[in-house]
Amino acid sequence: MSKNISINIEHVTRVEGHGNIILNVRKGNIEKIEWQVSEAPRFFEVMLKGRNYWEVQPITSRICGICSIGHSLASLKAVEDAFGIKISEQTNALRHLAINAENMQSHILHIGYLTAPDLFGVGSVIPLAESKHRDTLLKIVKLHRLANEMSDLICGRTIHPLTLIIGGFSKIPSRKQLLELKKRLIKDRETLREVASAIRKVSDKLPDFKRETEYIALSTDVEYALYDGDITSTDTGRFKDHRRYRDIIEEYIVPQSTAKYAKHNRESYMVGALARFNINSRQLSSNALDIADLFELKPICYNPFMNTIAQLVEVMHNIDDSIIWIDKLVDDGLKEEKPVDFKVREGRGVGIVEVPRGLLIHDYTFDKKGRCIKANCIIPTNQNHANIQKDMEAFVPTILDKTKKEIELSLEMLVRAYDPCISCSTHYLNIDFKET
Amino acid sequence: MNREDWADFINNLINNSTYEVIGVKAKGKRFIFAPLESADELRLDYDTTILPPKKYFLPQYENLLSFDLSKQSVNIEMKEEKRIIIGVHPYDIIALQQMDKVYFDTYIDRFYKIRRENTIIIGSNILNVSERSFATSMKAHTVTSGYDLMVTDIGSSIIIEIGTERGKKLMERYATNITDATEAEIKKIEEIVESIESKDRKLKVDKENIPNLLKRNYEHPIWRELSEKCLQCSSCTIVCPTCYCFDIRDEVSLDLQGKRIRTWDGCLLPDFTRIASGEVFRKDKTERFRHRFYRKGLYIPERYNFIACIGCGRCSIACIPDIAGPFNVINKIAEDSEETRGEIIFEIPVTRGGEEETAYIPRNGIIRRIEKLTEFEKLFEIELEDSIDFNYQPGQFVEVSILGVGEAPISISSPPIKKGSFELVVRRVGNVTNKLHTLREGDKIGIRGPFGRGFDVKKFEGKNLIFVAGGIGIIPMRSLISFILDDSNRDRYGIVTILYGSKTPRDILFMDEIKEWEKKEDVIVKLTVDTCPEGICWDGCIGLVTSLFPEVKWQDIENTVAIVIGPPVMYKFVIKCLDTIGVKEENIYVSLERRMKCGIGKCGHCQINGIYVCKEGPVFNYTEIKDLPEAFE
Amino acid sequence: MKPKVAFFDFASCEGCELQVADLEEELLDLIEIVEVVSFREIMKEHSNNYDIAIVEGSIIRPIDEKRLKKIRRIAKTLVAFGACATIGGVNKIRNPWQPEEVIKEVYGDIDFKDNEFFNVSKAKAVDEVVKVDYYIYGCPPPREEIKKVIIALVMGKKPDIPNYPVCVECKKNENICLFELGKFCLGPIARAGCNAICPTNGRACDGCRGILSEPDTKCVEDILKRYNLTYEEMKHRFTIFNYTLEEDR
Repeated sequence: MSKNISINIEHVTRVEGHGNIILNVRKGNIEKIEWQVSEAPRFFEVMLKGRNYWEVQPITSRICGICSIGHSLASLKAVEDAFGIKISEQTNALRHLAINAENMQSHILHIGYLTAPDLFGVGSVIPLAESKHRDTLLKIVKLHRLANEMSDLICGRTIHPLTLIIGGFSKIPSRKQLLELKKRLIKDRETLREVASAIRKVSDKLPDFKRETEYIALSTDVEYALYDGDITSTDTGRFKDHRRYRDIIEEYIVPQSTAKYAKHNRESYMVGALARFNINSRQLSSNALDIADLFELKPICYNPFMNTIAQLVEVMHNIDDSIIWIDKLVDDGLKEEKPVDFKVREGRGVGIVEVPRGLLIHDYTFDKKGRCIKANCIIPTNQNHANIQKDMEAFVPTILDKTKKEIELSLEMLVRAYDPCISCSTHYLNIDFKET
Repeated sequence: MNREDWADFINNLINNSTYEVIGVKAKGKRFIFAPLESADELRLDYDTTILPPKKYFLPQYENLLSFDLSKQSVNIEMKEEKRIIIGVHPYDIIALQQMDKVYFDTYIDRFYKIRRENTIIIGSNILNVSERSFATSMKAHTVTSGYDLMVTDIGSSIIIEIGTERGKKLMERYATNITDATEAEIKKIEEIVESIESKDRKLKVDKENIPNLLKRNYEHPIWRELSEKCLQCSSCTIVCPTCYCFDIRDEVSLDLQGKRIRTWDGCLLPDFTRIASGEVFRKDKTERFRHRFYRKGLYIPERYNFIACIGCGRCSIACIPDIAGPFNVINKIAEDSEETRGEIIFEIPVTRGGEEETAYIPRNGIIRRIEKLTEFEKLFEIELEDSIDFNYQPGQFVEVSILGVGEAPISISSPPIKKGSFELVVRRVGNVTNKLHTLREGDKIGIRGPFGRGFDVKKFEGKNLIFVAGGIGIIPMRSLISFILDDSNRDRYGIVTILYGSKTPRDILFMDEIKEWEKKEDVIVKLTVDTCPEGICWDGCIGLVTSLFPEVKWQDIENTVAIVIGPPVMYKFVIKCLDTIGVKEENIYVSLERRMKCGIGKCGHCQINGIYVCKEGPVFNYTEIKDLPEAFE
Repeated sequence: MKPKVAFFDFASCEGCELQVADLEEELLDLIEIVEVVSFREIMKEHSNNYDIAIVEGSIIRPIDEKRLKKIRRIAKTLVAFGACATIGGVNKIRNPWQPEEVIKEVYGDIDFKDNEFFNVSKAKAVDEVVKVDYYIYGCPPPREEIKKVIIALVMGKKPDIPNYPVCVECKKNENICLFELGKFCLGPIARAGCNAICPTNGRACDGCRGILSEPDTKCVEDILKRYNLTYEEMKHRFTIFNYTLEEDR
């Protein structure tokens, strides 16, 4: 084989943020494979400098529109960690609902609006609306609406949540609203099953590609971890001290770029739905495991394209888990609680949650007046950039016999499988792979 | 009735009646009117609610009509909700009775009327006085009518007074174990009322003296002092049970289904008076701040004979800088009592009778002819689809409606001698007029009206007439001039002098007609332009319209009537000229422009002090308004 | 003919565009009345032939300015979309620092001189670079308002964007005033149109739709005294979304 291929996909579409793919093949030899990020850097660390502790959440929420609930929760957990605030049972339950709602919303958007067009062979949801798959699309939209309305109910709105505040909630839903939500969740399990079987019919289009790598996610003994847990690796197991997350996550700079990458035990690792599935699948609800079975998804799965399927599995788990939390809230009786009282103090706090795309860490240091003097955020997509690059390097040789167009699509699909959230990942850094 | 039976009664109403049951519920440390889920939620011991119950009669957002833009079809069905409101305090009942006067005056507002008819009011005597209340001073802490039932929770039992037959029937159907109240129990009610009187804050003047007090203090420094702190948030008007101003706008969704929405508006907001061309009246925040007090304490009393404040204290609770409460303001002015600081006297020129019901539904009009007059003005000849007569006076206006865009007031430009159709000349300045300019002959528009008071042509008979027009002021004036110069009317009027100033020669409207007028006997026409751009041929005057006065040889001036229409800045100068040549004030007529939104004297946008331009105007005799500070600002 | 609409994003969280995706079933109504020709977040298709450009995000680099100016040249109508685009939003928080300081603070001493991706200027709202025809305010902009502006553009009318403060909507929603609860809220001076969503959810308004008129010291003296705040501290409250008000003027 001795063909020349030159691919330069500027601004990969149907991902959150601006990223480019560069591939140069000369006479069958791969000269260059690069995953680039051209998103405008936004410097959130500087924005937080000197801000009051209560301004930190509204500002960091703006790192990302798509996972603003996750950022808000990580931010609140970090502030609460710094000031030694213990939240109530009710707040804990409601926050679980919030994180479930966002996970569902984000995953459905990714599965339905960003990935499904590739599987159904169209450019976007718009032609999908006019195709024979309109019915499936409408079901996806229905699930998306459910997830968003759940966020609206729990968080005040979907993007940049309002009710999540330090030590509690500024407004809680009523019992009636929660029971109404539960009814809809139960009903839409079936809708989700229908969507899953429609995707199953085309899921053979997901490339059968495997590359062994490390997976990192939160885990805990009590539940399938999203809101809380310990950082856990498929290579090295569980790590208890959350404030020393830097012992696990080593950020580094690669020679050809200014971007910070992350590694742990190997040269790259993956976070996100597939990582969580690989580590915690035993804690999934039985309905969720049924979906995994439908797609023959089993841990440990080394195919990054299956991340989308792991997301589908998680959506079902989010529904089942939310129903349990609603029952608990209703049984315990909803109370108009004031946020927990606290004293502002000097010190550092770290908040870690699982957001749709994986592990998210907020780390703040406050002075004695509660002003932020140092901030660091570790974003899931940043942790995945290196793994995307490594996957590309392993994947390209297996598809070189295809046409240029097919290779382009395959590479785009690989990037999309990670559901990268680039505006998040460039909250402060900008990865530059400028061609020389 | 004992407390258990009372609770059963309420629960019975909630579960078994066809009514939606509204009651006072706690919201944090405050109270609101909201649907009741059970009798336990009802809090008769409340002090006052955040919003008054007016929201159930004039909702915050209300659908006046629905339409489908793809089919151009209109649906005017109104959902008739049946409600019971429990726990309404006497002052709020009085506020509703006041609102009735406004919404039933001249044009009966159908939406308001139906809601009023479909709502049962169960009043409650005040048990706890709000710290900002002065309802006693406003004689609004008790009430003798306006409720179907009135309850008093005297602790040991609930005493119910029957107000109407409807209330009695409700009791018979849904309540059990009712016994007649004992004398001791009735005594207890009196004690409760007395205790309110003693706790309430007291005004230093009698309520009846408030209009007089305000009349004498238009220039009192308090208006500036307080308004400097005003954030212009209009919270005071929104929480007020007697404020009734509203805005109307069209909303369209992505599937082209639309609604015409009525929402609450507030006269403290800077845009309240903004007209399509961008002009804002009552520009200064001090003027707006004062206007609110004068509406409540002077303008409404002059018109309807009641003070539009019932002393609930809601505005002063809602006001963050704490300047909105009438209690402090009235007391402060009263302290300076004898001194007069600016006096405002006005009489409402016309109060019309009539009890026509309105639902703000436009009649269908078909555009028969369109003529482009200038770059910005087009003439539209409109024929109404229904065969109902359309009679109007020169100077009146209509509300032109385009579905999905909204309504705009447009003066009629044709003389009323023309039957079967009428003409509108429209300058494109806003959304409605811009859209109108894109329409074609045969297209449909909506018409409401004619509205307002036009020129009384009978009064002008036997007189010489001077017409002074500036800019588009010629548009309504053309209706009157054409009428008077029509052969069938001409001999009833004397010499006609027309002075007309435009920006440039290109902006002159009706040039062909003006040439025809000029040819007639005893008609003098003088034109002027502000400037003449290069390349345009103009051999007439250059200068303001006032510069035309010396050009005319005036005669028989005592028997002369002048009609002036133009931009706001023009009036003062023209009136001075008229005075110089000897035209008597009472012989001067003007037509004023304001934001006429509803057209029927309810929405509040077009007010000049206490006068509604849409109702008492737009045509005024100069003497009627010359002393109104806001008329020629 | 359906107008052609293109969505573009600059420095932002892309939440505004997500709000469009979140129109759910109405997204299908939207594509009945306009032809969406570019919307990178959810579409692979792209065309440079559009009538209406809807632009999200702040402009923070010369290369972004260049891209925006090109968009302006093509679009008949340009709409600034969201707080970052309309008023600068959170991106402006860093504006008191010099761009070089910001880079150094975040990236250390690495030399970015020859790299245009890192040639960062102060953050700007879209109308500081090109002429903006219409504004969709908010962080994020309410879906209702997005629909309202799009339908207005389709119908050829000027969108009716509130020019009154949040208090109007907050009071209509019958919320307990946050000042009563001891919180300092920007509602009285911030542009409405959000249906007072923050106060309705128990949170003080941060003025993400812009400040209508900044009250002078005298006007708010008493209020500040009551809350034990200085005028400077009050102005600090503006700075989450409305940094450098004076400079902008």
